Formats: sequence, structure tokens, C-alpha cells
Amino acid sequence: MGQRGNEKVIIVENLTYAYPTSKDFVLKKVNFEVHRGEVLAILGPNGSGKSTLCKSLNGLVPHFYGGRYGGKVIIDGQEVLNTSVSQLATKVGLVFQDPEDQISGLALTVWEEVAFGLMMLGKPKEEIRQRVEEAIRYVGLEGLEKRSPFELSGGQMQRLAIATVLALRPDVIVMDEPTAQLDPIGKFEVLSVIEKLANEGSTIVIAEHEIEEVAYFADKALVLFNGEVIAYGPVREVLRKVDELKSIGIDPPSVTELAHAIKKELGLEAEYPITLEEAVKIYSELLGVS
Amino acid sequence: MSVGVSLLKKTAVEADTFVQRLDGRVKFLYFLWATVIVYIFYDPYLNLIFVAVTLAMAFYARVAKPILQTLLIIVVPWIAFAVPILALPFGFPWNKTIIGYIDVFGNKYPVYLEGLGWGITWPLRIAVAISSALLFFLTTNQAKLVATLFKMKVPFKLIYMVVATFQFIPLLAKEAETILQAQVARGLRTDVGFVAKIKNYLSVVIPLTLSSLNKVQIRAITLESRGFSAPVKKTLLYEARLMKIDYIFLSLMFVSTAVLAWVYVNIGYSPIAGLSWIWGG
Repeated sequence: MGQRGNEKVIIVENLTYAYPTSKDFVLKKVNFEVHRGEVLAILGPNGSGKSTLCKSLNGLVPHFYGGRYGGKVIIDGQEVLNTSVSQLATKVGLVFQDPEDQISGLALTVWEEVAFGLMMLGKPKEEIRQRVEEAIRYVGLEGLEKRSPFELSGGQMQRLAIATVLALRPDVIVMDEPTAQLDPIGKFEVLSVIEKLANEGSTIVIAEHEIEEVAYFADKALVLFNGEVIAYGPVREVLRKVDELKSIGIDPPSVTELAHAIKKELGLEAEYPITLEEAVKIYSELLGVS
Repeated sequence: MSVGVSLLKKTAVEADTFVQRLDGRVKFLYFLWATVIVYIFYDPYLNLIFVAVTLAMAFYARVAKPILQTLLIIVVPWIAFAVPILALPFGFPWNKTIIGYIDVFGNKYPVYLEGLGWGITWPLRIAVAISSALLFFLTTNQAKLVATLFKMKVPFKLIYMVVATFQFIPLLAKEAETILQAQVARGLRTDVGFVAKIKNYLSVVIPLTLSSLNKVQIRAITLESRGFSAPVKKTLLYEARLMKIDYIFLSLMFVSTAVLAWVYVNIGYSPIAGLSWIWGG
């Protein structure tokens, strides 16, 4: 879990948005806040507006897409509507779903790829070198610096994408389903890096299908359905709403579902676990096993 | 994967030779210079000398194979196709000097110098342009290429377009292959006649176009998110700087230009082959 501070890094107020090609709004009066060091998980079925919400945090919505936009998104005191995407690049780092989509096309090696954003922002050479090496080490890609980004595995490529974002040292890291296109090993590699970031106090917003994994490090969760916020609050409270989540196509962690089923079928009142470790502890106590 | 695609997939070959060490601007200038010189003169032998010099540098820099492959695909068929047509009667409007006869099924046909000269000179001019351009691309690594173009005051967006194209064409080819396999799996027949084949390939071209447009948009989003449009001076990790070897190469080009200018004035535009001038030559 993140080391939560009192400072609000993200404030979203009544955010409403429709793409220029669509008459329907994909986000409807969305409200939430993220404090420094917090991890917010955005949950929701396909088409619920998760990706659009992610893109609204770094200004791609509305600056890049256009469309009808209402409400406010404030990142570290700056209103997104009045700040360019390139200015926001140092405040919000966005990791996309498909790792291949994030490759700049101008870099031949992993090292150059990580350096790309810093070069675009005109950082001094020495600072670039230092930051690139740090970011590569952080995501565990040492030894692959001279490899072409296109020769990496899915998990390695997604870690590279995270490194490109980390190198910019943003206030907030936004990840749009970063493990959606990865195999189990790739997912494990990427989630390990995210968990490390979360534990070290980074502010993270992550849209994810893998609720079981996110439950380990998220502080808060926000559930979107058809562009509306269905639930928002501490992750434990949100994941307890098993029936509501399942009714919109979201599967809560298996251990939470099990506790819910036991309560429903047997009337057994017990705290809802959200991770396997918690479940073992709770049921051990219930069964009197030390 | 076709030869063309595999060629594009090739990036600069890293080797420690003087060709790789030459500044990108000097190699780019060599490409422009050679292309202009062979256009000013009208002499296939001179063109061959330029091709030979360029290929010698390419061999030394270990990039001759892709250049030869390209010349084989583009220039050789052109010569093989154009020369027999142009050199024979009615093949070329300026044909007048007969240099021999060929026997085709018992009929004797005259071979004309003008058509033959034109048919060989033009593809060789293209060969000079292609080989010198490829020498530049294949011996200048991407970082140096970007720095070179940047120093030449080429707008950064244009630099990106040039450099990224070389990286993304192989990806597009891979995508086209995937789409083709998917369509074949859904019943698209490829063992049909030429016309039907072209028609069938529309089912690859249309999804490929749509997916490419989508990819372009995603790429634009990615770049934007990584500060591509930031209104600051970009930092380049490599600085293009002229060295001693560059000045020597530039001097050689300068001396060659002076010699060739003397040749042009005193001997003419076709100093070795002695071709007579024709329109479009």
C-alpha cells in the first residue's frame, strides 16, 4: 500500500466527456480524489470509460481528442484544461495497454527508448544518463540496454514502458490495464514492479481487470459502469459489494466471493478478506487453527 | 518476408570503418553530389565508375549486400527490359546510328546506339542515386542520422517521419502477414488467377489501412504523452561534428568536381562513351 499523504495530487470534479464522433457521454459527472502516495484502482467492464478516464488525467482528453468536456481535472494544482499535454508529461506518466504501442519509433535500443521522453523535454545529457540508468535498474531491465525494444518479450516491453514513464519522474503514474495483453509470466513481472512502486509511495492510478492482484496494493477503488461512478472508497469497502460488482460483470477476488457465499448460505458473519493471506488468517481464526 | 521489406528492416550496420565514421552530412552531400554529376553528364561509363566507387565504399563498410539486392531488383530488370526495346527500330524516336544487327527468328533487326545509350545510362543514373542514398542510410546509425538531420535544420517532426518509417514498415509487413493468414483461415483463396488475386488482396489492404490509421493515432498519442510537442530545444545524445576524415572526403569531392568541370568544358558531356546528345538524355 502507498504511504498516504494529505496533499491531494488529483482532484476530479463532475468530469463529463463525449468523444467528437459520439453523441453519448462516456464519462458522466465523475468525482474522486487521490492523495500523494495513494493507489487508486479503477474497475469496470469493457466500455465503462476506464481508458477515457485515464486519458483525461494526462490531458489527452480533451486536448488530443477534442469533444464535449465538462467539469474539472486538477493535477498537482494545475487544471488539465488549461495545461498542454507536453507540460503534463512531467506530472502524469501514462502507461498504455499494449506495450508495443508505446515504443517511440525513434529509438533503436532500450536505453534510447527510456531516454526519448527526457530528450524531448530538453533535459541535460548528464541528467538523462542518470535518470535512464536509474529507471532501467528499477524495472529490472539491466543487461538489455542495447537490445532493440521490438526484441523484448511482452512483460519486458511493458516494464520498458513503465521505465520510460519513471524516467520522467511524474507526480502520478497512470496505467491503463497494463497487464491486459500479457501472458502469466509477463503479468507477474509487471505487477511486481507496480507493487514495488506502490510500496515505495508512488501515486498510482491503475485501471485493471486483475482485481485479485490489485487488491494487494490498492488503497482505494472506483467502479465505473457506463461512464458513471457506481462505487468509490477504500478498496476493502468497494470489494465487499460483491453482488453489485457481479451484477455489472466484475468479479471480486475469489476469497471475497467465498466469504460472501459463506455468509449468504451459512449465515456466518466474518470479515471479508480481499487477499489470499487475509483469507488464511481469517479462516484460521474461525476454525481455531493457529 | 519480401526482399524489399527485409531491406527496410535493416538498420545501420555498426562497423568501425571510415565510411561509418564519416559525418552523416558528408555522406548525404555525397549522395546529392553523385546524383547531380551523373545527371549532368550523359555517359554510362562514368555512371559505372560512380556505382563502382560507391559499391567499393559499401563493401568496405560491410553494407554491400542490401545495396546489391536493391540494384538487382530495381536497376537490372529495368536495363534488361528497356535496352532491347529502345535499341531496336521504332523503340526510341532519336534512333539513327546503327551499331549492329541482331537475328530474331531469321529476321535481322538493326541495333541503334541512341536507344542503347539511353536505355543503359538512365538506369545507371538511378543506380548511382540509390546506392549512394543507401550508403548514407545504412552506414549512419539512427542517433547520428537524427543529429545530422537536426543540424541540417530539418524540422523535428519531419525527422521523426523519416526515421520512424524505417522502423515501422517491417511492423506493417508483419501486420499484413497476420491479416492475410486470418483471411485465408476464413476462406480467402490465394490460388486463383491474377485479376482475382488482386481483388482478393483488397481484403488485406482495407483492414491493413484501417489498422495502420489506428496505429498512427495511437503513436501520436504516445508521442504527445512523452513530451514530443514540448516547446523546448530537444536534447540529442549525439552531436554531429565534422572531423579530419570529413574534410579529406569533402576535399576529394571538391577536386573531383573541378576535374569533372574541366572534362565537361573541354571534352563534353559524354567523355568516355561519346554519345550524341538527345532530348531527355
